[in-house]
Amino acid sequence: MKKKGKPWHFAVVALLICVFAFTAFFGVSSTYGDIKTVYIKGASDIRFGIDIRGGVDVTFVPADGYDATPEQMQAAKTVIEDRLVSQNITDSEVYTDEAKDRIIVRFPWKEGESSFDPETAIQELGATAQLTFRKGTSADGEIVLEGSDVRRAAAAYGPLTANGVSEYYVQLELEDSGKTKFAEATTELAQENGQISIWMDDQMISAPYVNTAITDGVATISGSFTQESAVSLADRINSGALPFALSADSYSTISPTLGTQSLEAMLLAGIIAFVLVALYMILNYRLPGAIASLALLGQSAATLACISGYLPIFNSFTLTLPGIAGIILAIGMGVDANVITAERIKEELKSGKTLDGALNAGFSRGLAPIIDGNVTVIIVALVLMAAFGPTDGVLAAIFSPVFGWFGAATAGTIYSFGYTLLVGVILNFVFGVAATRVMLRGVSRIKALRNPVLYGGAKNANG
Amino acid sequence: MQTAKYDFMGKRRIFFGISAAIIAVIVLCSILFGVQMDIQFRGGAMLTLGYEGEIQLSDVEEAAKEVLGSDITVQSSDSATGQKAITVSMPGSETMSADELEDLIAQLNEAYEANNFTQLETSNVDATMGREFFIKCLVAVVTACVLILIYVWIRFRRIGGLTAGTFAVCALINDLIVVFGCFVILQIPLNGNFVAAMLTILGYSINDTVVIYDRIRENRKLMGNKLPFEQLVNLSINQSLRRSVNTTVTTCIALAVVCVVSVVFSLSSIFTFALPLMIGMASGLYTSLFLATGLWVEWESHRAKKASK
Repeated sequence: MKKKGKPWHFAVVALLICVFAFTAFFGVSSTYGDIKTVYIKGASDIRFGIDIRGGVDVTFVPADGYDATPEQMQAAKTVIEDRLVSQNITDSEVYTDEAKDRIIVRFPWKEGESSFDPETAIQELGATAQLTFRKGTSADGEIVLEGSDVRRAAAAYGPLTANGVSEYYVQLELEDSGKTKFAEATTELAQENGQISIWMDDQMISAPYVNTAITDGVATISGSFTQESAVSLADRINSGALPFALSADSYSTISPTLGTQSLEAMLLAGIIAFVLVALYMILNYRLPGAIASLALLGQSAATLACISGYLPIFNSFTLTLPGIAGIILAIGMGVDANVITAERIKEELKSGKTLDGALNAGFSRGLAPIIDGNVTVIIVALVLMAAFGPTDGVLAAIFSPVFGWFGAATAGTIYSFGYTLLVGVILNFVFGVAATRVMLRGVSRIKALRNPVLYGGAKNANG
Repeated sequence: MQTAKYDFMGKRRIFFGISAAIIAVIVLCSILFGVQMDIQFRGGAMLTLGYEGEIQLSDVEEAAKEVLGSDITVQSSDSATGQKAITVSMPGSETMSADELEDLIAQLNEAYEANNFTQLETSNVDATMGREFFIKCLVAVVTACVLILIYVWIRFRRIGGLTAGTFAVCALINDLIVVFGCFVILQIPLNGNFVAAMLTILGYSINDTVVIYDRIRENRKLMGNKLPFEQLVNLSINQSLRRSVNTTVTTCIALAVVCVVSVVFSLSSIFTFALPLMIGMASGLYTSLFLATGLWVEWESHRAKKASK
């Protein structure tokens, strides 16, 4: 393989790397009025983990050792997700571990929220109680329906009668098990215009009057609701359909102030590490060292792009502090490919080869050890991701014969480290090997840069 | 014929001694100091509270004991950035419910209004979940080891055979012991970071050894049996030296920066991750260059002696 490079190859690749790095770090977006459209996601669009943004990591289990079915766990998950959304927390991670009956919830602290009070959030999320519909308004009234008789409740907005004004109300759908019971009770109560009270544990959350008998299992609860109160009632009825409460046996929280500071610190560490490694490479290997630094810039930018998603259509990955440590580690490890190649070129030049011959020999003889080094790190990164990652992901499925017996990790931040390590190593092939070759070949065709001294060879110019 | 600049293999016994001494110290330390487990593994609760002004640790401890009804310990954990903080730990693997936590902060603030206690960090792990996670981590380490061994087995059939592979694994075990030793000597409780550091070293360290062994194989092909094995290895080490050192140096530079920054900003969770990694990398360089090769040379010369008898 004796490809001849051209100077413009170098120029194009170098330019592409610079443009790519710039866009991956800063992103591209336009602002029209209040609407910001993101074309390319930059570093600021990255979804940071709760160890950086501050937030809560909770593992919920059914209280009192209740053995929940997978469907029930799924319902509980939906309830938690709904509750998060209703609290305006949209970028949470919720996943269930059905084998172990656990729900793992991670959510960042809301931006602009002044007081950090995660306990209340945890209690609100897990507070599932026994839902009962009772005749009358006293706590010992006859029970009409229980949580399992309710299929779902939803808040809605619209006119309830043909010519009525629009208002908020709660729509209630019953399971077949509840239809007859509810029909009988409402028929009886409608005659005296009585009340049905809805209870969560021993707290009455609503006590609507019964206007008509409801026989088809679909009821509406109306009357001076705001959007918020309608949603909240529907939510609580939904969660009450589960026959168990969730307890937070394990949880961790971190305040946003602590997190923001650590992001700045790690950013600083990343920049210093990059500069030092680049300097070291340039001082040691001169021209190939400079090109290695450029390739490294590309690798770091591409790692960021793989986390942020780069283009809006791609998903983003959560980046945690260990994840950033992984990126920085990859900066140090990434130049290995360049070191191996540059050392080989140096050696070949010393043994009297011409510049072109030395470059070719350096590339071809350096490849095997580069692959070697990366294979083992990839193995390790995959094991890390499988062991510390979500228990319902693709990787977890592949490794399920090994890790399937265990619940989720209590140290979720390591998952991000495995990911950045994996991405860093794979990208190393693209930048440390492929891009470096094209750039080195190209640059070696530039007359002014053909002096072997620039490649670590002896002073006499040949070539 | 090329000759080696430095005679490393002549000093191989010294390297064996150094490794043995390091391992002995680590084993001794773990017996003397004990191995601490993070609450991620053993379960328990730890809570960091920030405060303003001055406090009397023992008073706060008494107050917190009263609220929680548990024999907690309170330590000062002021950070270098000026944030004053205390850490409250529950005894054993007891956990603190969200209710109790809320109650504690409210009560403390009632008693010491001027100090304005705010929570910075809490960590609560159920003991069963912790134990399960610990076992999962062990399984992860074993899985990675098995996969790496398979890789070594496939790879070393070509470069030096299974005996050479065995010595590479010995070097790897040495590195893992050093990472473990880091946690023991610095009194860092074993946690998820420990597992991540162990696995990373596992993946990274074998690489250096493979590169050197590859060089030995290449040189053997070039020179046949003209050169005694010891010199052949010496030459190969000298040729790979710059590459191995430079790669490790760049990696260690990156990690050292992380260490320094994490100390300045008191990010202990990152420091306790980056430092063992860095020392593990350095150990990986040393064991790949001198231990894996030294053991191999020792084995070969032992065999040669036996054969000549």
